[in-house]
Amino acid sequence: MSRCITICPIGSVEKGILEHISECISFRCNLTCRFFTGMDNPKYAYNEIRCQYDSKLILRHLLRECPHDTLKFIGVTSVDLYVPILQFVFGLAQIEGKCSIVSLRRLYPQFYNQLPDPDLLLKRVEKTVLHELGHTFGIIHCRDRRCVMYSSTRIEDTDFKQPAFCPTCSELFKWHLDKSLQQDP
Amino acid sequence: MGARKKRESMKIVPPGKKKCVWMEAGVVSYKLCDHNYDCSTCVYDHGMQDKVARHKEKLITQPIAAAKDKLTETWVEKMMQLPANRRKCRYMITGEVGRKICPSAYECGTCSFDQMMQERMQAEILPVHARSQESGFELAEDFYYHEGHTWARPEYGGRVRVGLDDFAQKLIGKLGRIELPNVGQVLKQGEVGFQIRRNGEVAQVLSPIDGIVAHVNDKLKDQPDLANESCYETGWLFAVEPTRLRKNLKGLYYREEARNFINEEREKLFNLANDDLQVAADGGSSVEDIFKEIEGENWARFVKTFLRT
Repeated sequence: MSRCITICPIGSVEKGILEHISECISFRCNLTCRFFTGMDNPKYAYNEIRCQYDSKLILRHLLRECPHDTLKFIGVTSVDLYVPILQFVFGLAQIEGKCSIVSLRRLYPQFYNQLPDPDLLLKRVEKTVLHELGHTFGIIHCRDRRCVMYSSTRIEDTDFKQPAFCPTCSELFKWHLDKSLQQDP
Repeated sequence: MGARKKRESMKIVPPGKKKCVWMEAGVVSYKLCDHNYDCSTCVYDHGMQDKVARHKEKLITQPIAAAKDKLTETWVEKMMQLPANRRKCRYMITGEVGRKICPSAYECGTCSFDQMMQERMQAEILPVHARSQESGFELAEDFYYHEGHTWARPEYGGRVRVGLDDFAQKLIGKLGRIELPNVGQVLKQGEVGFQIRRNGEVAQVLSPIDGIVAHVNDKLKDQPDLANESCYETGWLFAVEPTRLRKNLKGLYYREEARNFINEEREKLFNLANDDLQVAADGGSSVEDIFKEIEGENWARFVKTFLRT
């Protein structure tokens, strides 16, 4: 299997953010990235009662569209995502699977009535993408609040954690990555 | 004199702890209360009372040998030696009233002020001093949590108040009816104590503690949603006179253990609600009414998994 991660914009996503995601994955995980032809706004997943998009439906769509020659497939969207029992999600990922999705909606400082801060936004994007990527490699939530695999229930949790795996999760990540690369020729 | 002052300054009472009445009266130099001022069932108090009684008997038969023993008086006798304006009421000692001098020679059983306080304290919930959010669920600090998602809060005087935790009230959602136990009913920790109804579904809930029900929150009959709005304060369910408090508390989650327990339950809930697709989410707190969101799913499976009934 190639060391390539495919990033797929869903709906309208700033090019700068997609390029930042690619740089972060290359730097933090030593993996290469490529971009997938964009997907349309996921109207099929819109829930009129919640005014949000069902992340599980989008994830299923990504599974169907996932290229065969990629290690992992990450969808990036600007719409607000949810799963039924939670008020919202920053991201959702298959555990030890190929696909994950990240929402930028609640990562923008403007969402919390704060002034735009591109640096803060990019840091949040990096942490959320690494977190979801970690899940796709089989890593579950970590209890260390500074580890990127800590489960963020609020944006403050995301801001507090570091854009890196703790020593234990880092070892797990390397082990799962090696396993993935060896398993699929 | 200097050494005595130093010894006195060493008697630090840690924050959140209270002096035992035997220490307050000056009979013993240092002892903290570990029984919520429920002296009637306190092993230490019983032992001390016996010791003083034995000493008094000995004083009659062997006056010289007995005189060496320092433990000659009970805490009540010692307090009664103080000037009348320094005899603190037990509610002043426990901090429930600012200033109150005992007018009844510490015979609380016949004191009208004690009866009034007992009535008032059973009806009025004490405020929660600190709360924390864990995995999107609220936890009240210094409460004890049962694995069946009820809480128990020992209060001064020995009663234990019981309620549903935030996880349970969100899981069940808008409560239709709460069928509380009767006053005088005997409850056992880990056995069904009461039940809840929602849209024709019934969920039995376990009691977090052994005891006899002393008081129930009557407001819940007309306003069951109080348990949703304020599950740690006005939405409390009932108060019990515990029968095995110390042993029971060891079987409950407290502070860090409670936080870990809620984290694990949240993960379990997420996995159960999304078992059609093996996924993990980085995301927000739970919705206010989980039952409504998972309608159509197997209700009994959720109740069995989280309420353990």
